Amino acid sequence: MTEMDKELFTFQRADDSESEHIAAPIYSYWRSVFRKFFSSKIAIVMMILAGIVILLSIFQPMISGYDPMKTPYINTPSMKYIRPNLTYWFGTDDKGNSLFDAVWAGTRNSLFISFMATTITTVVGVAVGMWWGFSKRVDVVMIEVYNVISNIPATLVAMILVYAIGSGIWQLIFALSITSWVGTAYFIRVQVMIIRDREYNLASRCLGTSTFKIITHNILPYLISVIMTAVSRDIPSFISYEVFLSFVGVGLSEKDPSLGRMIQQYSPYLVSTPYLFWIPVVVSAFISVSLYIVGQTLADASDPRTHMI
Amino acid sequence: MSTNDVKEKEVLVSVKHVDVTFTNGRKKFRAVTDANFEIYRGETFALVGESGSGKTTIARAIIRLNDISAGEIKFQGKKINGKLSKEDKQWVVRNIQMIFQDPAASLNERATIDYCVSEGLYNFNLFENEEDRVRKVDWALEQVGLLPEHKSRYPHEFSGGQRQRVGIARALIMEPSFIIADEPISALDVSIRAQVLNLMNKFKKENDLTYMFIAHDLSVVRYFADRIAVIHLGRIVEIAPSVELFRYPLHPYTNSLLQAVPMPDPEIEKAKTFNAYDASQEVMDETSRLREVRPGHLVFMADSEVEKYKQKLEDMEKLHHAE
Amino acid sequence: MSEKNIILSVKDLVVKFKVRDRVLTAIRNISMDFEEGKVVAIVGESGSGKSVFTKTFTGMLDLNGEITNGSIMFEGQDLAKMTKDSDWEKIRGKKIATVFQDPMTSLNPVKTIGDQIAEVIIKHQGKSKAEAKEMAIELMGKVGIVNPELRFDEYPFMYSGGMRQRMVIAIALACRPRILICDEPTTALDVTIQAQIIRLIKDLSMEYGFTTIYITHDLGVVANVADVVAVMYAGQIIEYGQVNEIFYDSRHPYTWGLLSSLPQLGEKGEELFAIRGTPPSLFEEIKGDAFAPRNNYALKIDYEQEPPFFKVTDTHYAKTWLLDPRAPKVDPPAAVRELHDRMLVLTAKGGIYGEH
Repeated sequence: MTEMDKELFTFQRADDSESEHIAAPIYSYWRSVFRKFFSSKIAIVMMILAGIVILLSIFQPMISGYDPMKTPYINTPSMKYIRPNLTYWFGTDDKGNSLFDAVWAGTRNSLFISFMATTITTVVGVAVGMWWGFSKRVDVVMIEVYNVISNIPATLVAMILVYAIGSGIWQLIFALSITSWVGTAYFIRVQVMIIRDREYNLASRCLGTSTFKIITHNILPYLISVIMTAVSRDIPSFISYEVFLSFVGVGLSEKDPSLGRMIQQYSPYLVSTPYLFWIPVVVSAFISVSLYIVGQTLADASDPRTHMI
Repeated sequence: MSTNDVKEKEVLVSVKHVDVTFTNGRKKFRAVTDANFEIYRGETFALVGESGSGKTTIARAIIRLNDISAGEIKFQGKKINGKLSKEDKQWVVRNIQMIFQDPAASLNERATIDYCVSEGLYNFNLFENEEDRVRKVDWALEQVGLLPEHKSRYPHEFSGGQRQRVGIARALIMEPSFIIADEPISALDVSIRAQVLNLMNKFKKENDLTYMFIAHDLSVVRYFADRIAVIHLGRIVEIAPSVELFRYPLHPYTNSLLQAVPMPDPEIEKAKTFNAYDASQEVMDETSRLREVRPGHLVFMADSEVEKYKQKLEDMEKLHHAE
Repeated sequence: MSEKNIILSVKDLVVKFKVRDRVLTAIRNISMDFEEGKVVAIVGESGSGKSVFTKTFTGMLDLNGEITNGSIMFEGQDLAKMTKDSDWEKIRGKKIATVFQDPMTSLNPVKTIGDQIAEVIIKHQGKSKAEAKEMAIELMGKVGIVNPELRFDEYPFMYSGGMRQRMVIAIALACRPRILICDEPTTALDVTIQAQIIRLIKDLSMEYGFTTIYITHDLGVVANVADVVAVMYAGQIIEYGQVNEIFYDSRHPYTWGLLSSLPQLGEKGEELFAIRGTPPSLFEEIKGDAFAPRNNYALKIDYEQEPPFFKVTDTHYAKTWLLDPRAPKVDPPAAVRELHDRMLVLTAKGGIYGEH
């Protein structure tokens, strides 16, 4: 036996705390979410496109100062119906205004309405849904409210409301979100009921944690991805709602441009000057799809299960 | 601790005529029927039964996670079931803690270990300042063999055994006098189980704790418990000091549980015969209740069975003395 | 084991999983022969790779898993090279069947138990409907269902957990497999039911003559079912041998640790023997013996070089440097040496578990 062998075959005990160390880099929820999100190429592309659209709709109207009520060229036939070209990217409309200006001003309103309605729906829906999921007494009442509201077509409610309270951006937002939060609340209620009695929540109760704190610390963080899913579904659906309501003529008034109004206004031109109709349609579809994909990818990425081993 | 000095000890928890009924729509399901037992200060009391026997239900009733439909639960002589004042609720929480079965399910995955362990401290403001809180958390983690650097980690980064130790640390930091451990090792790997049991024993000695230990088989409790209650389908069928129960297992269900413990010995295990327990062999009438057959040894039986059990015990005693 | 009848032969198997952007090596070079007709128990803790190992025999690795090296020879075919689903269908369920921990994962909740068994018989044995029904009822009786004719038309939810597991076994047996893999079949069941299911599997393996691969973490169960035992740790088999050799004459410190930390053996008031630390992460490259950091008998060489298998007897091998002639002589811990005597005392009273 060589010296080296002798050395190798002696006892050596490892340090106990050695095996307690965790070698992996420190986990961070949000870092993992973004890493997961940015691993999807299509989501990145969609996010860039959605970003461009949003930026254009915010800043372009500021520069152009577009106002649908100002029609300086209404009596200048040569300015009307100019097909898209290098000067007028989207051409000009029936009043001689640049459609490019009109589209972004319209997009701005459509997006604003949709974002506001989504925010109200989500905040109210999540808050009520949490309470609903925890309290048996609230459940008894809310389930009836839900049954009634979910059986009346939301579009009908919105249409009647807009008729009643008049048209306008805020009125439309109100009309759109007055019933929509119930759906979100119900959705959250079901989720809460699923995880409410999980062992870690029982453990928190054993430690004396209040229901409110259990909601904010134990339940909400688990629902981020579920809420993201709802948001990414709501934004495009509110855009479509606005388009639809304006299309049937109950959405916004003349002075507020929107994608829906433009589509409604130009539908008779489908044959003669189709770009007037198709450009707003394509822009609205484009926004819906890109925001939806971004939202869904973010929802997937924010599900902790996708980044835990 | 020997069985004799347990007798003279103070009753810490008393469970009297407790029924627990669950309602699911119109259906009623009685999970626990007429549970009666006492837990003495300083002992480890084991409740052993199979799934659906109601053992966890009783434990959760004591810690106020379930309501009871009849009976009374007392802790240090004070009633703790039903409606309680805010102060009394806090008193229960601070004194009774629980260790859960599945360490993966019982920790909040979205909270750091720091928060998990401090949660109880935050709830009752059990620290003077941030420094004091950190000191307490570090102490609790050190007690269970974890490192201060683990505080910024999340539960999923740990192994099962480590997670269970976090679960023990967060109970320990409340400085309770009574801990309910609901199958604390059955979800753990075999090589980790002994670690956790040793840790629990160490804390019991150091902090003068009383344990209620829930298990689904008898192999662990022989080592771990001072007294054992065997529960079957919501009824406690036998209660005895642990040595006594293994020496004179009277109820046939206890017997079948004993037979079912798989022994790590091929010769013995392969020679073993197994008789499944058949509840229909038992007499069940209005006289059926727990009766004391030897000091501290209670068996569930009807009037008509008293003689049978007496005989059985005598036979066992004879056999034991002959050895 | 050369002249014995080898039904399945695994050589140099390596299985890797991609988890997010990291690679986990679940099986680190396993070679093992399975003898026909035997009950082989694979023991290990979670993460030791015992389930992954047997899943490679039926092509049921998760999608992110891959066999990167080695061969699995069965009936002249290399299962490790098999990729097509149509090929696997000739093996999986038909020749190699699996019984999982949770019976409901294998049962169809909206079909009657009887139909589910009969369906398999029709598909794999080409019987007529009436014949299949008759055979299904016979099988149900075989797995211990009382009044199988009456229960033929019942649905899985009407059965208890133990009964469901019996049905899963009946379905697995319906196509007369050559190998039955039991992946922790009793872990979700109660102890008294566990004893019955184990008995059933043993009896059926005698009667039908299939080879059983029984995966478990419970050494008590191993002692009951096994003819041959393989102990796994961190993706490797570290000791294998006849069941008596493993329980009465084990050589690997990990096996010693498992045996001596059993609470069945604990003395009240004394500390239980506990294996220190936690199993290694298989995401990282393991240098030397994976068990070394937890091993009370670790040698310096354990941290440097992976030990080879040392032969103890013709049927017993252990992967530890302690068996190297250059190593210092080490006796197994007392708890392991006295295991049998202690067990005899513990079970003296009519063979049942009792006082010490």
